[in-house]
This record gives sequence, C-alpha cells and structure tokens, in this order.
Amino acid sequence: MCVRNWRPVRPVAFAILLILGVGWAVPVPAADLPSGAMPEATPELIEQGREIYVKRCSFCHGLLGDGEGPAAEFLDPRPRDFTLGVFKFRTTDSGELPTNEDMFRTVSKGLPGTGMQAFDDGRIKNGLSEDQRWAVIAYIKTFVPEFDDPEFDPYKKLVALPGSMPAYSEALVAKGREVFERAKCWECHGKQGRGNGQKAFDRLDDWGFPIRIRNVTHSWKIKGGSAVEDIYMRFSTGINGTPMPSFVKALGEDERWALANFIKSLQHQLTEHQVMKALKIDGDIPAAADDPLWAGAEAMDVRLAGQVIAAPRWQNPSIELVTLRAIYNDEEIAFLAVWDDPFQDVIHVAENELDPSELRIVGGYNSYVQPYDMVIRKLENFRDSVALQFPAKPPKGTAKPHFFRGTSSEPTNLWIWRGDSETSGEAAVIEATARGWKQEAKAQPEGQQQVNGGAVWADGRWSVVMKRPLLTEDKADVQFTEGSFIPLAVNAWDGSNGEHGMMMSLSTWHFVTLEAPTSWTVYLYGVIAALIAGAFSILFIWLAKRTKDPEPEAEA
Amino acid sequence: MAKRAGNIVAKFRINRFWSALITLVVIYAIVKWLIPAVSRWMTDLPFPLTVPGELIKIYMILAVVAMILLVTFSQKHLDEFLRPVLKFLRAEYGQIPRAVVLLLISLVIGYITYGVAVPTSETPISLRIQHPSSNFPKKFEDLKNPAADPPEAEVAAFIEQAKANDIALIAQVATDVEHWLEENPDGHMLSFLPTAPVKKFLAELDSGEVSMATAKAALIEKNLFEGRALYAMNCRACHGDSVSGDGPMADGFKLRPINFTDNGTIETIVEGYTFWRVMNGGPGLPVEATPWDSAMPEWKLSLTEEERWKIIMAEYDLAEKTPRIPEGH
Repeated sequence: MCVRNWRPVRPVAFAILLILGVGWAVPVPAADLPSGAMPEATPELIEQGREIYVKRCSFCHGLLGDGEGPAAEFLDPRPRDFTLGVFKFRTTDSGELPTNEDMFRTVSKGLPGTGMQAFDDGRIKNGLSEDQRWAVIAYIKTFVPEFDDPEFDPYKKLVALPGSMPAYSEALVAKGREVFERAKCWECHGKQGRGNGQKAFDRLDDWGFPIRIRNVTHSWKIKGGSAVEDIYMRFSTGINGTPMPSFVKALGEDERWALANFIKSLQHQLTEHQVMKALKIDGDIPAAADDPLWAGAEAMDVRLAGQVIAAPRWQNPSIELVTLRAIYNDEEIAFLAVWDDPFQDVIHVAENELDPSELRIVGGYNSYVQPYDMVIRKLENFRDSVALQFPAKPPKGTAKPHFFRGTSSEPTNLWIWRGDSETSGEAAVIEATARGWKQEAKAQPEGQQQVNGGAVWADGRWSVVMKRPLLTEDKADVQFTEGSFIPLAVNAWDGSNGEHGMMMSLSTWHFVTLEAPTSWTVYLYGVIAALIAGAFSILFIWLAKRTKDPEPEAEA
Repeated sequence: MAKRAGNIVAKFRINRFWSALITLVVIYAIVKWLIPAVSRWMTDLPFPLTVPGELIKIYMILAVVAMILLVTFSQKHLDEFLRPVLKFLRAEYGQIPRAVVLLLISLVIGYITYGVAVPTSETPISLRIQHPSSNFPKKFEDLKNPAADPPEAEVAAFIEQAKANDIALIAQVATDVEHWLEENPDGHMLSFLPTAPVKKFLAELDSGEVSMATAKAALIEKNLFEGRALYAMNCRACHGDSVSGDGPMADGFKLRPINFTDNGTIETIVEGYTFWRVMNGGPGLPVEATPWDSAMPEWKLSLTEEERWKIIMAEYDLAEKTPRIPEGH
C-alpha cells in the first residue's frame, strides 16, 4: 500500500527533472579570453605550435606563413600573409601589432564570413585547447620579427572600450546616425551601410588585392564580430592594411559608442521560415519593383551559397541573401526579388566568359575558380542577373528535382532576369528549361515566353519583379494553384564579381504557397463543434445527477 | 514503521483524476520542451532537435491509452477517478466554476476543430534517411583505404625516395613545400612535416638503419598531409576547417553539411561506404535520402580515386574518429 501511494508523487519528480533539464540546456558561451597570460615562448612550445600549424593552418596560410597555402588561391578574402606583420583585428592603435590576446581571440572565434573558422575546443569538438592555441600563436609570432622589438610593444598602444557603455536605445542610435553623417562613413559604406560608396575596384589593400567595402547590414559577414563592442573596436583601432582608418582622434568615446550602436541597428534580421505566403489582392498586380503594395506581402529571406557542386566551383559569391515576396490575383502572380549589390552591372561581354572545360576533368589540378587569376572581376564586363527556379512538373509526394538545375528526367523551370536588357536589346526575362547542370538551360520557344520583368537599382540594392499568368498551356511551365506548396529556389549572379554561367550563388529549395482565402465553412465547423461539446456538457450534468455516488475507498 | 510512512505519504496523495491529468501534462512537457532542450545540450548544436508533431501525437495517444488502462484497472480506481468529476458536474464545487469550465472546454474544442479545418502553410515534412543502404553496392563493403595501409612495394619506394632526398608529392602541395625548402635548405626535405613518426624516420635514415614499420608510419604521415591539403581545397568550403560541418558555405544549404565530429556520422559506417558517398554524392542517393536536397558533389567527376582515399583518411584523422570495421572481419 505504501509503495502504491508513492505513485501519484511521481509526476512531481518528473517536473523536477524537467526543470533540471532546462537548466542544463542553457549553452555556456565559449571563452574568447584566455584564462591567463601567454606562456613564455620556449623552443618546445614553438615546436609544438609548428606541428599544430602544419596540420591545421598551413593549407591556407602556407608552410612559411606567407598566405600561399594550396587552398589560398580559391579564397577571397585571402588567408593572411603573416610575414608582413600587418594584422587587421586588434585592440591596439592603428598600424600597431596585435596583443597576444587579440591573436588568441581570432584563433578562438575565427573571422565570420571568411575561411578562418573557430579553433576553440569549447566551440568545436576537435578544436585546440588553450595551451595548444598559445603554442600555435607562439609559432605564428616567429614569422614576424617586429614582435621581438620592444619599440613595437603592442601593450603600450592599447585601445580600451569606453568608460561608460549605455545600453542600446533609440536615442543612442539617433545620435550614432548623426555621427555616421558627420564622420562621412557613408562615403565608403553607403548611406544605408550596404558598402556601396565606392565607384570602382580601383584601390588595393596592402597585399595587392582589390578593396571590397563591407556591407555592414549583413552581420554574418562582419569579420571582426557583429557585437556592439566589436564594432566599436573596428573604428577605434582601424583595420590595418586597408583604407579603414581609426577614429580615435576624430571622434570622442561616447560618439564612437553611439556610432557602434547605430551600425548595430542597421543589421538585417533574417527571417526563419522556408514557406512564403503569396498575398492575394483584387486589383492589378504591381509591375513596378517600388510599388507600395509589395510592403504588404510577407518577406522570406533566402540564403545563398557559392556554386561548389560542380566545376567550375565558385567559393566567392557576393550575393548571399535574396529577399522574396509574392503577390497574386485571379489571373497572374508576381515575385519581387531584392538583394544588395554595390554596383549596377548592365553590360555583358560574352567573349570574356570562362571556358570551364579545363576544370571539368578528373584529377586536374583543381575544379575551383581562382578569383584573382581565372576570371575578370571588374565593372562593365558581366551583367547582374537573378533566376527563380521551380520544378517543371508538379512534385509527386515530397520528391523534387535536384535543387541544382534538376536532372534529365526531372527538369526545372527557370525565370532568368538579366540586367543587360537595355544594352543588349533583348527581353529582360527569359523562361528556360534546365535538365541538370551538365548542359546549359534551354530558352523556351518565343511563343511560350510569358514572364515579364521590371527592375530598379537604387542605393546599392536591386529590386526585380517577374510576373506571369497563374496557369499556362505550356507543359514545361510551373503552374500556380491555390493551396499547393510549390518548391522555389534562387540563383544569382553579381557581374562585377566575375560571376556568369555556373559561377553563381544558389539556394536550396524553399516553398511558395498561394494562400486560399479561408472559406466560411471553416468557421462554421468550429461553431458546430463548440455547440456539440456544449450539448454533451449538459448531457453529462444530467447523467451525473442520475448516477449513484460510488462507495468511498476503504482505508488500508 | 512502513505503515506510518505510508500514512504520511497518504496525506499528500493526489486524487487519481488529478494525478492522471498532471502525468499527461508532464509527458507533453517532456516531449515538447525537455527533449529538444536536452538534445541541444547533448549535441552542442546552435538549435534544438524538436520532436516531430506527428510523433508527439503518437506519444500522447499512447499516454492517454495508458491512463485509461490505469484508471479502469479496477472498479475502485474508476470510482476514485470519477468522484471529483461527478462532484464537479453536480455543481458541488459551485455553479459558476462549472459553467466557466464547461464553456471553456466547448470553446477549446471549437477552436481546435477550426484549427484543423483552416488551411495552413507549414513546411511540408520530408523525412530523410541519413545512411541509406538500399542501393549501396556490396562490393564496396570490404574496401580498404590504400593510403592508410600502403603496400610494401610503395614503402620500399618511399625509402629510396627519402634516401635520395627527393620525395614525390602531389602537385597541389608541391609548390608550397618547394617554397619552404628554399627557406630551409639544410635539413631533409621531409622535415617540413614536424610529426613524431617523420622525426623518427629521419633519425633512422641518418643512422642508416631504416625499418619498414617506421618508414610506413612516415609514409602515412605524408599521405595524411596530402589528404589534409586536398580536404582544405575541395571540402573545407562546406564541411569547415575542422570537419565540423560549419564551412563558410554551410549557412546557404538548408540541409546542412555533415559535421564529421558528431557521433553517429563517419564512425558508424565502413570506409567503403564513405568512399561510395564521396564518389557519387547527392545524385547517387536513393529516394529515401532525398537526393534533391543534398549539395554533395559527385566527386568521381573531379577527383581521382587516390585523391578521394587520401581525403577520407584526413577526414577521419581530423574528426578524431575511426571507421566501422566491416562485419565478418
């Protein structure tokens, strides 16, 4: 009996477990700061660091630390050449060396948006322990003789965080906006922070590579970190080797702190959903990309990656985010694609296109495109372009064509908008059928081209509209019916980044759905169900009154 | 003693109706929130692994069935369960509570019915099998990685190359090693690789007494170095510097690149399987593994067999995992 009586207590034990479980699940942030000072760089420590360096770092940074490892030629930004002694991310004055802790932070956290990833064993299972990180830093410092010179001691040139760091607020952001205007940050970074201030790739960094100005609205690409403190450090220390100066002398601490908060406020908040609801309207579908109607349609952020599935593989896409919206009425549907691109590329020189045949061989040196050797990355060379991809046939069950242009048996329907229509005199949008990546997508015959397009480029941002009747007679076209989930993927090209053909960014499958308006019967079902439940309640009350009380349980 | 303890507990006893209700709520809480929370803690992933809605439904139906069995186990249990219900229905707890609760239950049922009938726009579920074997050719099962276990003739040739201080390296790493040798012309060519097996081999080479075992270990180190370089060139963009599935391209793919340091990935499969997956990529997957969502390339179109084996060797080494041994060995 005693044992039996314990049973009802069990739920309480479960509840305690539940609370404990939630407590355990709170992630412990990995430390970016070492627990103590860097150990002395003994020959043993340096030799230990060399072994780690050769295993984990040399393939990008090179055996000599010159940034010329085997993988370096595909990367942009390039791996750091340590031998110049120029380090970008520091907490020291502009032009100075980094502190040990600065290097420790970079090795631990990595640099977002680059090939340099986190090596902290608190972040990744096979990462480096604190001692191992110090060993590899000790070895890296041997590439830079200046570290031994007391004249260059970075600890004498420290830049601290401000004494008072008020919390993020609208007032602080407004003050920061004013500093942004006054300090002329927009001259390079653009009025909206999209990195569209420059006129051409005419400036080089200290390593001889073209300067690309950061779009500060994409937080995942902010190399030095996207927290307010990180942003503050970037314009307080400058970024060595690049035109990014230090504003320590020009701006006060509180001004820089406000500016950092303003930059933080510009960061785009990504949507998480994979299904986009198209907005139904009664009137005409907006043909213009800047029509105010678009604001009412649900936005879906689509992340893109470089096309690295087949040669020519491309690791340096400039378009990593396209935001989509869709509007439809009884006749037509239109999609709006919006993405940031600092240059409006409206010219296409077909002769400059890359011939991928040499990359498409087994055991060739590599199947990747080297951004600084194999393609021309400049203005007025290749056009900007975007494509929406749908399955050509309605999907059976969950099966879809492969997201990378389908296959010969499962083709895809592409709507390709091209930025050079005004200079080429061709239609802005072509409808094409793709049967896998091995062959070029084939344009549909003239009579079956039914997609119209319009585009606007303003302030470092393209907005492109593509519109088509909901249903067509064409068997190779996607058909839009209410209530169904239609797979949708995006391809995008930034011409001045050298992108054309298979050198592009692409997304995996998302969905668009045409939300059928809720029928009045749905509400009716709810009301009927509630009424039936109410009737049963009354029945139960009546039954309860008629039932005789059960005998109380006898005590043991 | 026991009886007294039992009496104390009896004081805190909850009626069978309430204990059944609380148990159901707790089970729901565990499935809905605790499992995702614990999964996040266990896997260290930045997102929880939620229990699919259909599975939650199945668990809850099972829990309700269990409760019904428990309650109807005997007449006594049932009576105990029904007592508060009957009291409530007879308004012994008050007229107003009865009206409010019954009205609420009716409204909730109406709302749930509306929720079921209303068209929704949730992502269509697509279940996926991670290590499909329906089209895995048997002949791959027993494959051995030649780069990890080089034959004797290869080791002997390697010793000869080492004696002549002219080690053959793949073209991808040769340039960087040459640069290193220009700066470090004094030692043996292999000293660019500062690992223990290579150091031991070089010491034996100096003494003139080279054992096959030491030479083999050093050759494996050289193969690993080449494999790591090929990995950094070809796989790093998606699978990441440290094979954690977090390369710079990873966020662009809805089906994220596999994290090889996770338990249950490359250590649960034989090496021949890894080789087959690397060879045929996403397009080689059977339907149950949703090939249309996989960005894995068909590497047989770009990499030689030797390159693929060296990469696989480096992958296991970087992930600090070993492949599963084929059965029957």
